[in-house]
Amino acid sequence: MAFFILRRVGVMLLTSLCLTFIVFFLTNLEPNLEKLAKTQGNARMTDAEVTSWLDRNGYAQPMVLRYGEWLGVLPGWTREAEDGTVTGRCIHGTVTAETAPRFCGILQLDFGQSTVFREEVSSIIGTRLGLTGILMFWVMVVMVPSALIIGVLAGMREGSRTDRALSTFSIATTATPEYVSGVIFITVFASSAVGLKWFKGSAASAMDGVTFENFTLPVLTMALYGMGYIARMTRASMAEVMTAQYIRTARLKGVSFPNIVVKHALRNALIAPFTVIMLQFPWLLTGVVIVETLFNYKGFGWTLVQAASNNDIELLLSCSVVAVFVVLVTQLISDIGYVYLNPRIRMA
Amino acid sequence: MSSTNPGTGIHHAARMFATEHLAGQMSRREFLSRATALGVTSAAAYGLIGATPVQAQSERVVPPMGGTLRIEMQVLAQKDPRTYDFTQLYNALSGVLEPLVEVRRDGSFAGLLLESWEVNDDATEYVLNLRPNVAWNNGDAFTAEDVVANFAGWCDSSVEGNSMASRLAALTDETTGKIRDGAATIVDPLTVKLTLLTSDITIIPSITEYPAVVQHRDLIGTVPSDHFVGTGAYRMAEYVVGVGAVLEKNPDHPYWRDAYLDRIEFVDLGTDPAAVVAAAEAEDIDMNYDSVGEFVEIFTAIGWEPSEIATSSTVVIRTNQEAEVDGVKPYADVRVRRALALAVDNSVLLELGYAGLGIVANNQHVGPMHPEHAELPPFEPNPEEARRLLEEAGMLDYEHELISIDDDYRRNTTDAMAAQLRDAGIKVTRKIIPGTTFWNDWTKYPFSSTNWNGRPLAVQLLALAYRTGEAWNETAFSNAEFDETLAKAMAIADHDKRREHMRRLQEIMIEEGVVVQPYWRSLYRHVRPGVLNGERHQGDIVNVHYLGLAE
Repeated sequence: MAFFILRRVGVMLLTSLCLTFIVFFLTNLEPNLEKLAKTQGNARMTDAEVTSWLDRNGYAQPMVLRYGEWLGVLPGWTREAEDGTVTGRCIHGTVTAETAPRFCGILQLDFGQSTVFREEVSSIIGTRLGLTGILMFWVMVVMVPSALIIGVLAGMREGSRTDRALSTFSIATTATPEYVSGVIFITVFASSAVGLKWFKGSAASAMDGVTFENFTLPVLTMALYGMGYIARMTRASMAEVMTAQYIRTARLKGVSFPNIVVKHALRNALIAPFTVIMLQFPWLLTGVVIVETLFNYKGFGWTLVQAASNNDIELLLSCSVVAVFVVLVTQLISDIGYVYLNPRIRMA
Repeated sequence: MSSTNPGTGIHHAARMFATEHLAGQMSRREFLSRATALGVTSAAAYGLIGATPVQAQSERVVPPMGGTLRIEMQVLAQKDPRTYDFTQLYNALSGVLEPLVEVRRDGSFAGLLLESWEVNDDATEYVLNLRPNVAWNNGDAFTAEDVVANFAGWCDSSVEGNSMASRLAALTDETTGKIRDGAATIVDPLTVKLTLLTSDITIIPSITEYPAVVQHRDLIGTVPSDHFVGTGAYRMAEYVVGVGAVLEKNPDHPYWRDAYLDRIEFVDLGTDPAAVVAAAEAEDIDMNYDSVGEFVEIFTAIGWEPSEIATSSTVVIRTNQEAEVDGVKPYADVRVRRALALAVDNSVLLELGYAGLGIVANNQHVGPMHPEHAELPPFEPNPEEARRLLEEAGMLDYEHELISIDDDYRRNTTDAMAAQLRDAGIKVTRKIIPGTTFWNDWTKYPFSSTNWNGRPLAVQLLALAYRTGEAWNETAFSNAEFDETLAKAMAIADHDKRREHMRRLQEIMIEEGVVVQPYWRSLYRHVRPGVLNGERHQGDIVNVHYLGLAE
């Protein structure tokens, strides 16, 4: 078991290393650096000004060196201006040239500074991930139980009218992308165009406090999309279990149908959906991009969009580290959970 | 000063403008703009034309004290104010930092940190009188030292992206790229004198622009969001880029005039106008920043109050005369440039590109809102002539690539232009570049559209955009006669004499087919009923000190 977890952690580190290098390479291509200089300096700077800006801010060194600095295996750059002021990678905020450490990379747990937000990357990621966490929590609360109920109801009597109706519903919700359902929800439930105005079409106020009014639409938009998928998986698994020999034996013994479903079928039917549900976490983390942008909820997905469109190198790198971390941790949990749900599987 | 009448302190040229306004040769707004730039107070200016000062005040109401206002606006990463490239950067801090002079909605200039100023006859000497009893919120007094330090900062062209340096070229030493010795001198703690080598009438208009906010003398070149030291009535409670900013009234700082609201929240909702409508309907905001295109109607339909202002903001669709495409310079030939202009009906571009919300322009980048505008015969489209010119230049089969940014009105206008060119039998392909990368090469595109913000004087625009070798000269236009005439025009304070030169400049713009400039934009904003003084400003300025909420 310990070896298994260790191996997983090793894979995680290796994946992070590869992914961040790719992100680093792409964000450090010359046109991207030029864009960075222009968003930081002035949108209408001349080429000479761009070169001087890049040089002054440490972007003129070779890419591999700068990747090493970001990792924290090479010392951060320093530069002395004509008037004697020293600037450098590790000098920012309250840290002065004297007190600055030689190395400041993620190995030293320094995630760097965001160029868009002018803030520590770690504090941005912390705040934004927290907000996305709240959204994900409510999405899970709505999505998982309702998906399981729909799946079980549909799967317990395969081919029945309930099954047909619920299956159609699940397929329809999964087939509707969030940017379509979100816009429809806003138009129908939040705008003067239809006039219902039950909820708010903007979740900006939810960042200060979640209410039923401002959070229903974003949660519903995300939950519906994932719900159909989980419900379909649950239905398939449930239908399969219901045809198993031991269920037939139980029926012949005269066990009542509700008892069969709850006591005998459910646990076995939930093994497959469990993996799917765990897979939903990484999907949610990237799926929030659309919903957060649509409803103006400034969480992780929105941060990712801002970082990417402004070529905020260090923020983007940390976002990818977080994404890799979430994917592999949820997969680890799902593998371990599997063992408990299904005693037939043993960890190698 | 030699030019001011000792009895009244009114510049003689201002009296001349008043006569012309009364004779119907100049609109009220133009008159106010011209007269107040010469140091005449707006009340005195209204007096010159027989309007009562009540009318002068009628622009703004006095709101009751207190209240919280939420404004939708992008909250961008702060930077050194000299390098500001978006008005939002200034607006978010307008409760903290103030400029020396402001432009009002009626086009007049009014002193904020300056109480008054005097200009000599040929606009080579400016005496700036500072407002007494103004303090910084760190406790220091605001003095002439601050003003001189700021002028020195503005004139420092070694700072990348410092757009003030080109605006104040008359004070700058060309060899060092810094302020010329003796250009700005302290007369006494509340008086500063500017001495120019050449006449320049654009000094006062230039220091009203949003990068010209005044920083503390020891903090020139710093980013305001690192310290929030300023003269304004508010302090920054929160500033989160991309999310929002909160200004609170500063109880520890005596402000030199009244400020009404207790709290102003800027909410960043991104660039999609639909999201702003959703927030307005959710009652998350009280005022939007900009209503564009079809959204003007939508905001009005949900019961918000519109405000409109006609401006000299515009779009130009221009060719770069030096740009090489596959080894040739297609737009070096004046016949090609003229043909592109002749093939297009500007009124159609206004209708399709900007929903008719503006007035048709005549490809000169000088318009009736500019005091020195010369009336030329309207520009008539002539597709037949366009084809003939192209045939003569051997370019009829050339396939043009027309580039635009990916947004609402600029893309639509450029699409409409492409369609009209195709109708005229000219081959065009369109290329749309996302906003995040469009500005990387904006001056170098061979054939593309650009939006230009308004400036109070036409010569300011022409000098920024069409003078030989200017950083923002995107047409690569270089014409000795144009440069000479422009230099002459910029030295003349009297707009009638300047108009003779303007006529020639405008003719050159047409003869050389420098740009297609289809329309002047009207700008719109909406507020929830009950928001006071939130009207749209021609320069997009939102000065939070004036805002208020009705009881």
